[in-house]
Amino acid sequence: MIQRPELANNKCAVDREQERHLVFAVQRGDPEAFRELYDAYRERIYNLVTYSIGDPLQTQDVLQTIFLKVFRGLRGFRFQSSLSTWIYRIAHNECQNYHRAWRAPHVPLEAILGSHHEIDTRPVSHEQHARQERDVILQQALMQLPFKMREVVVLKYVEGLSYDEIGRVLGCAPGTVASRLNRALTELEERLRPFKRLL
Amino acid sequence: MSCWHFSLRRKLLPYIEGEIHEKDLKRLERHLLDCGLCRDLLLRLRAGHQMAQKLAHQVPGGDYPPEIEAMMAAAGEGTPRPRMRVQAWHDWVERFATPGVLGVLTAVLVAQLALLVASNRDVLFGQKSAATIKTSDLDLNDFHVLDIADLKLNTEPHIATEGYVTDVHTDKEEGTVAFKLVESQSAPGPFVVCEIMSPIKMAAPRDGSYVRVYGVSRYDAQTDRKWYEVNPVLDIAVLKH
Repeated sequence: MIQRPELANNKCAVDREQERHLVFAVQRGDPEAFRELYDAYRERIYNLVTYSIGDPLQTQDVLQTIFLKVFRGLRGFRFQSSLSTWIYRIAHNECQNYHRAWRAPHVPLEAILGSHHEIDTRPVSHEQHARQERDVILQQALMQLPFKMREVVVLKYVEGLSYDEIGRVLGCAPGTVASRLNRALTELEERLRPFKRLL
Repeated sequence: MSCWHFSLRRKLLPYIEGEIHEKDLKRLERHLLDCGLCRDLLLRLRAGHQMAQKLAHQVPGGDYPPEIEAMMAAAGEGTPRPRMRVQAWHDWVERFATPGVLGVLTAVLVAQLALLVASNRDVLFGQKSAATIKTSDLDLNDFHVLDIADLKLNTEPHIATEGYVTDVHTDKEEGTVAFKLVESQSAPGPFVVCEIMSPIKMAAPRDGSYVRVYGVSRYDAQTDRKWYEVNPVLDIAVLKH
């Protein structure tokens, strides 16, 4: 299922103080607290993993591994960084591990979107059709970028993180983030230039 | 031909987004007047930026993955037990729960209860306060029990350690209570600093009492501190008043 970015801001967000209470509750062994944290972060991490990996089956596996690590790690979490940075960092490491282990070419995103179209048999308007087509073109272009560039684009444009936050997640300086974004966006522009009128 | 103004090139995207500092803005605009390469890069970045803004947000399905469900259930129950055991327990109860057996069990339970009341009547009838300050839903068996002196060798996050309470300090502004735990009342060290903090509500132990503290182990590396801590304290059991 795909949602527009402007709707995506309606995430199940928790503020810092609430997050702190939830972490303490998880440390005391409260499963409901973990469920709340999971709900708050699942969608955000899902985006990063989906765009990093591409294969829907592998995405589910990696997502699960990430949250298992989060759950185990939360028992010793001491707020030395913000919780979101810490969780994104675990996700980034897991995606990186996946790419190191598999070294396989990406599965085209058509595979994912194809199954979506097969399930949703309702007639679509011309506008919806055009939007779906645009999403596919954009996603395919993004998936062709190297992993490091793709990740920085997703963290900036889908997750809305600042340069500093991206730097903390990826373990690099904000200047490096800016350079990587410049390269990623120019490559994206080059790949999408033939489709400019459709976008 | 190339442009060597790398730091200015990094400012192009913040410039497009309107988030550039004023001092950089003037420098960048002056440079753009002179540099055709950077003007070209600016146009390409602007197009790439507009395209990236249209990236769709993926929404996962509603169900919890089975492993996550199992993990949360296990966390709620403490140590996970196989379902077969529960079934076996029910079978055993059905087979042996005859009136005679139940009568004997009830008698044993009543006798044990009477013994328990007799041995703790001071506590129960108010002559002494209850030994445990806070009863929580923690599984205290999960905590790694160790002496204060052994904290420097510890690698476990959750620990339990015992000692005498000294230097109880309440910080009303921060809403925290801190105290020192020492192995011996006659020597200042080894010690560990324990901190009770919001949102965990717990009464501070009395100065001089001997307690067991459960909590998260950490090391405070600030120059004026450099000591081991139990922070936050998750539970306290008073062993001697």
